[in-house]
Amino acid sequence: MHKRLWLIHLVVRALAHRRGRTLLLLAVLAMASSLATALGVVSLSMKKRVAEEVRKYGANLVVIPETAKMNVGSGGLNFGEISEPVYLEQRKVEEALAGSGLKADYSFHLQGALRFRKGDLMVEGVDFAQVRRLFPWWQIKGAWPAAGETVVGSDLAARYGLKTGDTMELAGPAQTVHLRISGTVATGGEEDNLLFLALPELQRTLGLDGRISVARLLVSAEGGSLTKKAAALQPHLPGAKVSEVRQIARTSEGLLAKVKLLMVLVTAVVLISAGSSVTGTMSTTVLERSKEIGLMKAMGGTRWEVLLIFSAEAALLGVLGGVVGYLLGSAIAQFITKTVFAASSEIIPWFVGVSVGVSLFLALLGSLGPMISLFKLDPVRSLRGE
Amino acid sequence: MAANIVETGGLTRSYGDICALKPLDLRVPEGEWLSVMGHSGSGKSTLLNLLGGLDRPSGGSLRIGGEDLLLLSEDGLARFRREFVGIIFQQHHLVPYLTAVENVMLAQYFHSVPDEAEARSALERVGLGHRLNNRPGELSGGEQQRVCIARAIINSPKLLLGDEPTGNLDHQSTMMVMELLKELRAEDNFTVVMVTHNQEVATWGDRTIYLDDGVLVREERTES
Repeated sequence: MHKRLWLIHLVVRALAHRRGRTLLLLAVLAMASSLATALGVVSLSMKKRVAEEVRKYGANLVVIPETAKMNVGSGGLNFGEISEPVYLEQRKVEEALAGSGLKADYSFHLQGALRFRKGDLMVEGVDFAQVRRLFPWWQIKGAWPAAGETVVGSDLAARYGLKTGDTMELAGPAQTVHLRISGTVATGGEEDNLLFLALPELQRTLGLDGRISVARLLVSAEGGSLTKKAAALQPHLPGAKVSEVRQIARTSEGLLAKVKLLMVLVTAVVLISAGSSVTGTMSTTVLERSKEIGLMKAMGGTRWEVLLIFSAEAALLGVLGGVVGYLLGSAIAQFITKTVFAASSEIIPWFVGVSVGVSLFLALLGSLGPMISLFKLDPVRSLRGE
Repeated sequence: MAANIVETGGLTRSYGDICALKPLDLRVPEGEWLSVMGHSGSGKSTLLNLLGGLDRPSGGSLRIGGEDLLLLSEDGLARFRREFVGIIFQQHHLVPYLTAVENVMLAQYFHSVPDEAEARSALERVGLGHRLNNRPGELSGGEQQRVCIARAIINSPKLLLGDEPTGNLDHQSTMMVMELLKELRAEDNFTVVMVTHNQEVATWGDRTIYLDDGVLVREERTES
């Protein structure tokens, strides 16, 4: 028989012989690794959940042009400051985002006024695909607009008596456009009083090709605070101001960090307790088996060879405990996310590696002390039962 | 004349203030069966442990098969034991969760590679062909001792050490074990050093030495 196969055979026989102690060790390792798995899976699921929740609040950073200001006055009179409309260059913002390495979803907006029925109408040019991603609460009655179409805020539509299917003529400084209303939008916010059309269309109509008034960014709450992310982006955008717009994202970051810390602490306490338990049980096992160890040494087993047998036992227990812990931990994570977040957690297959790693580490670390005493054991004294 | 397999010169072993073995000069020729007799605490087992490389002497010289045991490291001694020595214990010391054949294979595992066919054959040689898959708890004292003998001879040792191997056996089993050892020695031609309390058992050897308080006090040849 191959030596390695015989070693496995020997280890399995030894573990099966001490069924009670083996089950106890397995239970301890499985419990510890299951908790680590559960907390890890819940933590990952929660991170996603928080990110989703934050997403519901829309953009959390906004880029606006720094307003050019000038004093207006004559002689000794000063009428104060006035500001001219200033725009951002869409291309430069895109380049800044790429250059900063910031992972963010974004939407570009151009605001302006167009003539409609002898009056001025506040309009906004947007990319509707971006809007659908960043502002999921937009409720469209009708359909999202296609080329040559527009959506009208619900209050605006009521004021002008506009309805889906109507065609509007809108005149700008550069051109006049005819747009069909594909639907009305209701958000409960300022959007209800605006008219939305495709960004390039408005840029052409206003004669502001490649210009935008504002860029709204949705930056993930993970990996560093929003303030830091805003500060990191700012140098790439001279002449613009990057600001945080949502307190909620900052709160989520703080909450996430605290929950993570709590989980790390709980896991550490559990792992230390489990490690002590493994040490205690392994010490008893080594003590009980001192004659067997003495015999192995008397038969010519070197200290390392005997150590290998006992390490293999600990390793096998570690692997088994890790696999059981993964299954148990996934079930616990499912229970926690269901009861606490009212959502189901993901099954994360690669976490079996983490669970086995934790269990293996515990089994080997917990066995370290007993292994050292095994290493030093004198065969004559142990065979005499001393 | 056969070369000496065991050579000691002024060999001593002390445990703190207690001197378990006082300077001993001993030579055992290859193929000899040496019986070691003495009361409890006379130094018999101490001598055996030193000859088997299980313990280190406090002084003197110790050469087994030309190897100076004092120069060997801890792991060097372990390698010496598996290559050179077979040991039979009074308490058998079989691994309780392994079958008879697996207990023999354990010695092969430490020596080289476990070979079940060879292990079976060794057990058949000691008359246990029908008990191969029984665990120690299912065997009688005599049978356990025969498993112990099979385990001791499986790696073809040059030196077989017996630490009162019949001490726990009844007369009939004792005679059976001694007869078996005699046959095996005749076939394999190994050297035997056997510690015993039993005068009758001692007479199976070619020569008997008597230890008293760690000192070799008498030596006699067995008349054939």
